[in-house]
Amino acid sequence: MLDAMRSDHARKQRAHGIARAGVREERSAPAQGRWSPTSRSLSGPDRQKADNVLAARQLNRAAGTLAASVLADSAVEHYRGSFKNKAMLTPIVVAGLTLAMSLHGTADKRPVAHNARDTSYLLAAGTGLLGTGFHIYNVTKKVGGFSWQNLFYGAPLGAPMAILLSGLLGFCSERLRANGPRRRPRVLSLPAGKTVATVAALGLLGTSGEAGLLHFRGAFHNPLMAIPVTLPPIGAGLLGATVAGSGECAHRATRWWMRLLVAMGFAGVGLHAYGISRNMGGWRNWSQNILDGPPLPAPPSFAGLALAGLAALELMREASDG
Amino acid sequence: MAERSSQRSRGSVYPGYDVLAKWNSPSWNDKTRDVISRRLAVANDPRFFTAEEFQSVTAMADRIVPQSASHSRIPVAALVDRKLQDGIFDGYRPAGMPRDGDAWRLGLHALDAEALSRHGSRFAEMAGPDQDALLRRCEAGGLHAPEWAGMPPSAFFKHRLLQDLVLAYYSHPAAWSEIGWGGPASPRGYVRLDFDDRDPWEAAEAKPGDELAALRINRHVR
Amino acid sequence: MSDDPRHSPRARNGRAPDVFRPGRWVSMQQYADNEAVDFVIVGTGAGGGTLACKLAEYGFSVVALDAGPYFRPLEDFASDESEQTKLYWTDDRIVDGDNPLQLGSNNSGKAVGGSTVHFAMVSLRFRPEWFKARTKLGYGADWPIDWREMWAYYTEVEQALKISGPINYPWGPPRPRYPYRAHPLNAAARALARGCEAMGIAWTETPLATLSAPRGLAHPCVYRGFCVAGCSTNAKQSALVTWIPRALSAGAEIRDLAMVGRIETDENGLAVGVHYHRQDKWHFQKARNVVVAGYAIETPRLLLNSATDKFPDGLANSSGLVGKNLMAQANQAVWGVMEEEVRSYKGPPSLAITEHWNYADEGKDFFGGYCYMSQGPLPQLWAKTQASAHGLWGARLVEEMKRYNHAVGLKIVGEMLPQEKNRVTLDDEVDQYGIRIPRVTYSWCDNDKRLIDHSIGFMSRALTAAGAKDIWIQHDDTCHLNGTARMGSRPDNSVVNADCRSWDIPNLWVCDGSVFPTVGGANPSLTIQAIACRTADRIRSLARLGEIRF
Repeated sequence: MLDAMRSDHARKQRAHGIARAGVREERSAPAQGRWSPTSRSLSGPDRQKADNVLAARQLNRAAGTLAASVLADSAVEHYRGSFKNKAMLTPIVVAGLTLAMSLHGTADKRPVAHNARDTSYLLAAGTGLLGTGFHIYNVTKKVGGFSWQNLFYGAPLGAPMAILLSGLLGFCSERLRANGPRRRPRVLSLPAGKTVATVAALGLLGTSGEAGLLHFRGAFHNPLMAIPVTLPPIGAGLLGATVAGSGECAHRATRWWMRLLVAMGFAGVGLHAYGISRNMGGWRNWSQNILDGPPLPAPPSFAGLALAGLAALELMREASDG
Repeated sequence: MAERSSQRSRGSVYPGYDVLAKWNSPSWNDKTRDVISRRLAVANDPRFFTAEEFQSVTAMADRIVPQSASHSRIPVAALVDRKLQDGIFDGYRPAGMPRDGDAWRLGLHALDAEALSRHGSRFAEMAGPDQDALLRRCEAGGLHAPEWAGMPPSAFFKHRLLQDLVLAYYSHPAAWSEIGWGGPASPRGYVRLDFDDRDPWEAAEAKPGDELAALRINRHVR
Repeated sequence: MSDDPRHSPRARNGRAPDVFRPGRWVSMQQYADNEAVDFVIVGTGAGGGTLACKLAEYGFSVVALDAGPYFRPLEDFASDESEQTKLYWTDDRIVDGDNPLQLGSNNSGKAVGGSTVHFAMVSLRFRPEWFKARTKLGYGADWPIDWREMWAYYTEVEQALKISGPINYPWGPPRPRYPYRAHPLNAAARALARGCEAMGIAWTETPLATLSAPRGLAHPCVYRGFCVAGCSTNAKQSALVTWIPRALSAGAEIRDLAMVGRIETDENGLAVGVHYHRQDKWHFQKARNVVVAGYAIETPRLLLNSATDKFPDGLANSSGLVGKNLMAQANQAVWGVMEEEVRSYKGPPSLAITEHWNYADEGKDFFGGYCYMSQGPLPQLWAKTQASAHGLWGARLVEEMKRYNHAVGLKIVGEMLPQEKNRVTLDDEVDQYGIRIPRVTYSWCDNDKRLIDHSIGFMSRALTAAGAKDIWIQHDDTCHLNGTARMGSRPDNSVVNADCRSWDIPNLWVCDGSVFPTVGGANPSLTIQAIACRTADRIRSLARLGEIRF
């Protein structure tokens, strides 16, 4: 039990490490980014190239946050499922790889796409699609089929989408790097900022839907359980409005809202930890309550998507600046 | 059913599993440890029964819930004895039947009387198959010695002899381990509820030909 | 002073046990014996506990007495079947008739909270037509209450107990959303579902009075499976952890280990209080109204034991019906063995249900209905079932028990018809308090037997279709006890009126399962609580109209 608590502690520290790395990135960004005097002194194409790489790295970070959430969540949930099917190891391996690649990408300042990262992100996206198929199959083959019972307690239909989103964001990041000094960066011939914003907005809506289903299962017994079904859809709406074209004011509001969602994602872990402590035996009964209580690693997926939203806002701003 | 059951008789179905290994786990709380400590401390001697009665109850227990050598001996007769001593009764009785403790005394003496008249010895001294035969007669109500004093033998068999001995045997952790039950469960209950689902703190069943796998798992069940 | 709640009372000195915190207390208002309270209630289970809460919340002074101890589940309940028999009413009783009842366990309770402390939590509404069984279905007797009124009270109770239930209930008129979501199904429940789907009938998750999410200081269910041995998680929404804490905070007094032996009546034929035994002494509590809520055996026993010269046949008995029309419910089962591991000891025992044969009228050769549910017997109960119902002992029993983790079963709760010959009378023997003990006489009628045969046939096919082998039948079991002080529309055909008020003694009330004219094929606890809520509302209305003397 101590061992597990230690490893639990270690996992938390790792999660903190990711968050801290992110914060450091934010702080150091101006040093290389377009607001810094040095950046301003760069010539146009170089500056643009640096901006694109910065946005790409932000996306790597977003993809990594999502992957970390998937890694921990699928590990816990599939352990609960006793790994009855060997395929249940897949998301853990793939999310681990995606996380590693995302860390690599976050540190990588080169303005070129990276083959291994690219492959791993596509693999993540593929895993997400395949996983969704598996989970749908799992739900429908149970007695009662596509029923509330199986939606609540069977394999969660929305969960594999998180690794798909992580892959998509990472894939966008690599395309962004490949833009070189292009003024209006594109992803597969679509405008990059709007594409990423759309992915993030849809991701927020989907994740909010999943939280809604599970919090409905918990009968919204605590009013705070309404937060992840209200704030993220508003964020998605704001992102949508910026994609549709709106003023600086809306941009600023959206940026603040995304920051709020990042905070919400990490605060959610704390609230879920409190939820676990309220179950019978509290943390002493961790071997049951980590599995039966609210899932600790789930809420940060909101943070990952909101980070992607922030990156998208930067890209859109640059595009409109240019 | 008996044939099928005996075909399945293959020693331990849950090799190496011991409910008591979970004593300090979150599956046991203080109240449960207190209750089970007292049960495990029950000495194999009579408090309620006389020595002679106790001998009979022990002999009956060996016929009703025969014990395998694979686990430590469950003091079935003593567990019944303590229950009667503590006045823990069913709370109802068919008309014509005395309350639980009195019914036991009456029934034991009547069965000994039947044994003496049929076999010339007390119940405890009879051979096993003869004991079974007498118990079956009792179960079917085919005994009529005056010592029954109006108590229907079949009611005595069903409500006292059979029920009390069976409940006593399955109140013991050794019996729980034998059948692979999870045992006490509070504050920790269970997580995995579906077909063929097993929590890490539950017994693993030996699959024919692969008993070792279960043994390995069960040694670590906590 | 012993802290064993079975030997010395806990609710005294202005405080009562806090059921949510080990070793802690909550404050409690107290009344002197010679202070006439508005209501003295005998029994604190589904009927008495609920009524005590509602009446106290309406501002009446209430003292509720229970013969049993006042437990704190978190610290007093062991994970052990033997130990937990302390929750049962095991005072001496005699059974006879063609089909003598088994008492003392599932159909009894001796604790503050009554048998709700160990009930299986199944919280079903009655089928609307059952309230007019005689007129609409041609059997039994009509209730003097309209089903639509009951529907509103069912909702109140479901909310009060935070019932966990399915999103859509397949049978009967629409009902509001259950406050909490259904629990996950265990394998035993999925076996029931498989069987129903194969037989082409509907099934659903059983509405249960156990939490699927936290509620205040109560934890959600941990699926430990000891429900009928008492819930040490506090997930079970028994009267002990729902109505009674509310009653206390509204100013009611609960007296534990207080056995009522006699209701006192005066020369005007009115009740004036109750004699009760507590701490080795007899006491007399004065009251303006007396409510009897002791369930279908103790309620008639108390009314009969309170006979006087003026009421030589017992109180409230001018109809001669006190103690008569006792109705158990059929509780037959079909058992088998699955290839897969089932381990039905995990989770509440009855997570899935079908009420098909409560609502379908075609293809029946009997009156009434039944539901059936998945099962999860713990080892002692399972061994007892194998021994006494399956006839196994010796090596056959010990070997069969090794298949415990593969066993699966379906069990009915079936309607039995009211018959006057099924009854509670007084025996000449006395119990530990010196009070005459009850004799309970029970025989099945032909209709009961036809219902049982139908259910066994159907469940055998369903269990086989679910994949079970070695099917066998448990023929003799019953559950729940109702009747014996039935409500009705006339003094000559009933003991109490629709308000649970005695026809004969206007300040004497009966509020428990005894008042049921028919039982239906559904567990009665939700209906008992709904009736109690209705009775409280009626008492408040009658008091405002000046129709109750205080």
